[in-house]
Order: sequence, then C-alpha cells, then structure tokens
Amino acid sequence: MVFDELLILTLNENKKNKDWSKDALSLTTQLLSTHPDIINPEFYTIWNYRRNILINGIFPISSSEEINELLNNDLAMTTKALKVHPKVYWIWNHRRWCLEHIPESSNSSNTQEWRLSTWEKELFIVERMLDADSRNFLAWDYRRYILSSMPVRRSERAELAYTTKKIEANFSNFSAWHQRTKVLSSLWASGEVDRVSSLQKEFELVQNAMFTLPEDQSAWLYHRWLIGSGDDKSILEREIKVIQTLLDEQPDSKWCMDSMVTYKLMLLNNHLPRGTRESIDITNQCLTLLAQLEELDPMRCQRYRDIGGCKVDELSSLKPSLTR
Amino acid sequence: MSDTLLTDLHVKYIQNLGKNKDDLTYHMTAHLRMNAVYWGLTALCVMKHKDALDAEETIEYVMSCWDDEAGGFGAHPGHDAHILSTLSAVQVLAIHEALARIDVTRVVNFILGLQHPSGVFAGDQFGETDTRFLYCAVSALSLLGAIDRLDRERTVTYLASCRNFDGGFGRVAGAESHAAQVWVCTAALAILDRLDVIDVPTLGWWLAERQLPNGGLNGRPEKLEDVCYSYWVLSSMAILNKLTWIDSAALTRFILSAQDSEDGGISDRPGDMVDVFHTLFGVAGLSLLGYPGLDDLDPVYCMPASLIERMGLKKGWKALPRRL
Repeated sequence: MVFDELLILTLNENKKNKDWSKDALSLTTQLLSTHPDIINPEFYTIWNYRRNILINGIFPISSSEEINELLNNDLAMTTKALKVHPKVYWIWNHRRWCLEHIPESSNSSNTQEWRLSTWEKELFIVERMLDADSRNFLAWDYRRYILSSMPVRRSERAELAYTTKKIEANFSNFSAWHQRTKVLSSLWASGEVDRVSSLQKEFELVQNAMFTLPEDQSAWLYHRWLIGSGDDKSILEREIKVIQTLLDEQPDSKWCMDSMVTYKLMLLNNHLPRGTRESIDITNQCLTLLAQLEELDPMRCQRYRDIGGCKVDELSSLKPSLTR
Repeated sequence: MSDTLLTDLHVKYIQNLGKNKDDLTYHMTAHLRMNAVYWGLTALCVMKHKDALDAEETIEYVMSCWDDEAGGFGAHPGHDAHILSTLSAVQVLAIHEALARIDVTRVVNFILGLQHPSGVFAGDQFGETDTRFLYCAVSALSLLGAIDRLDRERTVTYLASCRNFDGGFGRVAGAESHAAQVWVCTAALAILDRLDVIDVPTLGWWLAERQLPNGGLNGRPEKLEDVCYSYWVLSSMAILNKLTWIDSAALTRFILSAQDSEDGGISDRPGDMVDVFHTLFGVAGLSLLGYPGLDDLDPVYCMPASLIERMGLKKGWKALPRRL
C-alpha cells in the first residue's frame, strides 16, 4: 500500500496559497489517478481544488479547443477510476461537472460536434457500467442525467427499448423496471404512446416475469405500478383472475396472495357498494388470504393482522354473524 | 458469534479509532473523519458511555475543521466545507452542548446558500445535489434553531417530486427508491411536520419487505442485507409507527451476529471487517428495537432522544418498548 503523505502536504500547502498553476494541476492528477486502486478517490477536497485550478488558473489562458480537450482528458481519467470504484459519488460528480463546463467554440458547428460526441461517449460508458452492475444506482442516476441533458434529445422510445433489453436479460433487475415506470409515464403524458393500448403489452411483459419468477419482488412491484390506484374495474378483475391462475399453480406464493389481497381491497373500496353479498364475500376471501399469509410469512404477520383487523371491524359493523 | 451486545468491546473499539494516527486507514478515511466522530460519539451515547471520549478534545477537533472561507465545516482540518461534515459537526457540538462555540449565523447562511431553485440542496459550492444533502440542511437548521429561515414550501415540493409509486424516495427526482434515501426524506418531512406527503400504507409495506429470511434488511428489492439498513429502514418505520411490521427478534439476532466478538465493532454482515459506521447503525437499530440496557435514540435526528426532547424538537415517532 502506498500513501504519499508528502504529496498531500504539498497539495494542501499549494491549495492554501491558491496555486492555480499547471504544476499544481498535475499534482492533483498524481493523487487522484496515478494509482486509482491505492490513492483515495474520495478525497473530495482535492477534486474541488482541481476544479478551482481549472476554472481560475487554466481555463482563462486556454482556447476553447484546449478547454474541451482538458475536460475530455478528465473524463478519460475518471473512466479509469470508475472501473475500480464504480460507487464513488465524487467521481460521477466530477464527470458531470466536466460536461457542464464544455465550452462554446468560436465556430458553433464545432460546439455542437463536441457536445454530440461527448454525450454519445457518456451514454456508451454508462451502458458499460450498467453491464458490469445492472443495479448501480449512481450509474442509473447518471444515465438519467445524460439523457435529460443531451444536445439532441434521444427519443424516449429508445430508452423504453433499453429497459426492455435489461429486463429481458434479468427479470430481477428492479432498477430497470423502475426506469420503465418513469419513461412510460413520460411517453403517456406527451401522448407519444397511447396509454390504453400499451398497458395491455405491459401486462403481458410483467406476467411473463411473474410466472417465470413468482418469488421475485421486482415484477410484482411493477405490476402494482400498472394497477395504480385501481380505478379501472375491468383491469382489476382481469388481473385478479390471472393471479388466481398462478396461485392455483403455486399455492404457497406469498406475492400472489399479497397482491390478491391488495387488488381485492381496491375492488371493494373503489367499485363495490358496502354490505352487498358480493362485497361481503370478497372481504371474507381477503380475510382468509390474510390468515394464510400470517402463517406463510410470519416475519410480517403484524402487517397482515393490521389490514385484516380493519376489515373485521368493518364487517362486524355490518352484520356480526358474517365475520369469520 | 455472540447472542448479546458486547458493549464493553464496542466502547473500546470506538476509543481506539482515533489512536493509530500512523495507520494507513486513518489517512485513507480522512474525508469521513468528522462523520466518524459523530458516528462514534452517538454509538457511545446509545450504549450509555458518552464519557468514553474526552469531550473537550472532541470539541477542539470539530472546531479545527472550520473552513473560514466557506463558513462551514470540512471533514478534517484543511478539508473544504461540505454539508455532510457540517451536519456532523453541529450534531457533535449539540451532543456536547457546545453550539455556542460556533458562528451560527455564518453556518446558517452557508446552508441556506446551498439550496437550488428546485428546492433540493447541493453538498457544496460544486453543486452535486442529493436528498441526503436536503436532509442535512433541514436537520442542521432545526438543531441550530433556524428552521424558520428555510423555504419550507420549496423544500417539501422537491421531496414530493422524489416520491415513487412504491411509496419510497430516491436520491434525486426520478431516482429509484432506496432505504437510506427513504429515511432522509421521511425524517426531513417529519421535521417539517409534513408527513402527509407520504403514502404510509404503501411505504410501510415496501419497508417491511426489506426484511430477508435471515432477519437482516436490504436497501432495495432483490439486494443483499446489510446492518446499516437496520437503521435506515427501522428509523423510517419508527417515524411512520410501523415498527411492528417486521420480525424484530430475527433482526436483533442478525445485528448481533455481525459483531466482532474479539476486538469489538459491528460490520455490514457476519464475518466482514467492522467499521464505526456499521457499529453506530447496528447499535441504533438495536435501540429502536427495544434492546435492553441501551438508551433511546431519536429516529428523526439520529441523536440521543433525551437531548432532542430537551431541545424541544421531538416529533411523534414510536420505537418498540425497552425490554428489561
């Protein structure tokens, strides 16, 4: 292990003296990048100092071409560091700072070209980072930042396709399902994709995942997003039937039962008048499921009791003899 | 592996942390030193050994990290001010009833100056934004008696924009729900008396589903357990009064199994290297679970409950009753 105390002392001294020279810059490079596996990339003060040297000392004496090159060098340097430290916030943060400082060229088509190529490269790098760890939330956050700041906005349909690819590679990748909720919401809001017709396809995708990995939370969470607050009675009834089919195959599936209770309660609260035979039957079905869940998932039994307790009270207020 | 909390060993472990200044780890973690002082001191308070570290020495250290140019605290002498280390400094000084030592006006102005128009906070002058930094701002302003200077409406609007369909919150608007970000957002909303922004049944469900069969908690769906989530998840549940929705005995066993029974300290999971971060969040989790012999911890501020109550800042959270 190497720890260069002298280098740090020199850097601290230079920083105090507001030394914004090229020599000072190369000392920060030495600390932050010569040994990315040894020297600490979390030394945020040195990142700050590096940015101050660039802004106050180097940029003012550089052409925009040179500034662009300096920033691209920093991006390349941090790419190396990210490979060793994919979860260090300061590194991602420095990349973002670089992008925000890409200069305007005197020739406007140059500027556009710099930006296009830099953002394309960033998108490529962040995809490699997500190939290495598909749940790295810093990489996902960076990806969203890149997409929202691209010089020429990419179609959101392309991002939808990206999430499909990630989900199909691994149904358990909740980060990709999450991204899908954001992209689809936006596509629906802009009218680029028709909500009603795409919803059907989404249910098919998620059912495929639920039937393949019924114990995995990711798909069930996404299914719950699709259901939303359960305003559409026919969708609720249809999905309850689908889940019943899966439950018949997998009688011990906790997620089947938990979702079933949630959706049946939505049906009761949103669509059925209280006190009717049908609503009393459904309430009793929920209570049976909740009792099964208490047995099956004892860690969370109190939650099932709390939900059931409210329903029992409601039933008793209707007709005491109907409670279980 | 031990089935009881090894308080004496943990106290000794924390006392020894600052002693080996020639150790490489000491230098490699300099960027976290101020946080580490807060983690260690709070863990000692929870274990009723506040006096195990010299108060005056600690206060002197905190004051030596003052960054006079920025008007906040850095992580170590000579390091730049950052909101993460500024909150830790304020917390440590509050615990030692030494807030009078600082220039409150300057600290408050430093914090307020980091708020962006969207309502989110940056960590420092370079502008990385994160709901963690928003929490740091809200918590520190509250501890400094300056919460009324905050633009509450803007702050709450930003928090609401980070809420996802699963009831949780992410690092920034659009980001995936993550237990640590859930805590910072929930606790900030608690301080601002705006828990109405939270969908309690949905978030309570999401939090309860963080518990894995071995009793430990994870931070996101389909991820591994880690002792620190004992705090992030439990404190959020305590604020929402849903602590009974997980198996506290199983979690207690998991936290205890991650202790180093020879040299003290708690690690992320059994068999790994211990550190002071996981030591605090393990002990903090045990306190919220009513583990015998510990002091109460306030889950909104992650500070001794008696102190927060004396300061008149207590909110309506609920931990499990202290066992004998």
